[in-house]
Amino acid sequence: MSLHRFSPASALATVLGTSLVLCLAVPFLALALSTSFSDLRAAFAHPMFAPALKLSLGTSIASLGLTALLGTPLGWWLATTSSRVGRITEIAVQLPIIVPPAVVGVALLQTFGRRGLLGGILSDFGVHLPFSVQAVVLAQVVVSSPFFVQAATSTFRELDRDLTIVARTLGASPAEAFVRVVLPAAAPGLLTGASLSCARALGEFGATLLFAGNMPGVTQTMPIAIFTALESDVRLATVFALVLVALGSALLAAVRTFPRLASSVSRS
Amino acid sequence: MIASVFALGALLTSCTEPDPTRVRLTVFAASSLTEAFEDLVQSFEAEHPTAEVLLTLAGSQVLRLQIEHGASADVFASAHSTHVAKLVQSGRAGSPIKFASNELALVVPRSNPANIGSFEQLNRARQIVIGTDNAPIGRYTREMLHRARAALGDSYADAVERSVVSTESNSRLVRAKVDLGEADAAVVYRTDALASNAVRIIRIPDAINTQASYHIIRVAPAAQVTLAPPTARSDFASRFIDYIGSREGQRVLARHGFEPR
Repeated sequence: MSLHRFSPASALATVLGTSLVLCLAVPFLALALSTSFSDLRAAFAHPMFAPALKLSLGTSIASLGLTALLGTPLGWWLATTSSRVGRITEIAVQLPIIVPPAVVGVALLQTFGRRGLLGGILSDFGVHLPFSVQAVVLAQVVVSSPFFVQAATSTFRELDRDLTIVARTLGASPAEAFVRVVLPAAAPGLLTGASLSCARALGEFGATLLFAGNMPGVTQTMPIAIFTALESDVRLATVFALVLVALGSALLAAVRTFPRLASSVSRS
Repeated sequence: MIASVFALGALLTSCTEPDPTRVRLTVFAASSLTEAFEDLVQSFEAEHPTAEVLLTLAGSQVLRLQIEHGASADVFASAHSTHVAKLVQSGRAGSPIKFASNELALVVPRSNPANIGSFEQLNRARQIVIGTDNAPIGRYTREMLHRARAALGDSYADAVERSVVSTESNSRLVRAKVDLGEADAAVVYRTDALASNAVRIIRIPDAINTQASYHIIRVAPAAQVTLAPPTARSDFASRFIDYIGSREGQRVLARHGFEPR
């Protein structure tokens, strides 16, 4: 019997699958349809828009940089170690993915807040994290870096171990072998992880609101601007939301094209 | 299939299903009314055993938005007249009744890290949290700071405004930043300050302080533009509003620090 023949089961599967596609796609369509050209113009000219967009882009790039810098060595270690500590670390690092952002926000306050675990030590050094742009970046790093670490770990695991061994026997130092052989080979996977992580940072809302607060120009990122705009003007919030959809789509496109680009570059 | 998934969902949540013998009334109230309205609902239900009141608390601007977008509220108690006025204009509500007043107060953490002893010392604070401009608490605070500028000078007001590190969406979220010890000072309603034992209250001089007035309205169901004919539900809505204005209702509000209308 052909798989493509009509059967009640395949009809049911089609209906179920289509329902999900509709659930996922229609809200974005509605967002676009509910916006007029004059709404767009008004929203782009709104005093909340430019600072929030600038802050969102700046903080996501900063958190991506930190994530790549700290996450790449961690991913390598997780991929190469076979110790028990490694397995436990891997699970601990994934925790922010499954925990609600609000939980991360409260946890960050209890860690870096004035009365938090490290708050006292930090304030002795004159560092006050809550309500600052650094708090926005920190919240983004905590919620987004696990996506990068996960991608980096699995990419490094899939790499051919012989690559580094060959590089070493050809006289490369471990650092040289890593930078010149391992990183280029892992680039596609790392870039996918970086794009996902950046998208998550861009969309960060709950942890930021709790830990960094809501201050135009300082901690009011695009998602928080949407939240604030919604309380006064729904059309404004709709346009802000559309901008985030556009940025998200661009990142998604990057996820799909980067790896191919990178692998063609590393092959040539 | 999808219907059965929903049915399963309904079954799993059935513990919150309404009691068919009681009339369910949905009351939307400003966050600052939290404890007062919890008490009011309890005593109203005790007086009317066939009524079941569901209380939703949030910033008045959020509640208004939800009503405008079809939330099925029967009664809306707002901390600012604009939000009820907008609903009355759009035909979604009956005429507003003022039922209580409130004023602003400064709160600092018990440990008082910025060592603020009076309103005039608010410019010592490095981290001040207030309400967002959309929220009634933020709007009243802006009015108050405007008068403070006139009374205490530009340099005082500029220092205060520069120290604002976050604008929150309702008075309870503003207070939470002081409860947590993250803010040096915050401006909330006097009643919010009274309801927390984690904060110290600092009076705002009468000449600078702002009067907040609370209004309550009956909300029409979303489908109709005009108010519905009396049904059991809207009858209870009217009774609830009457109860808030009654001597007993006013006594409950006064117990939580609200001033009479």
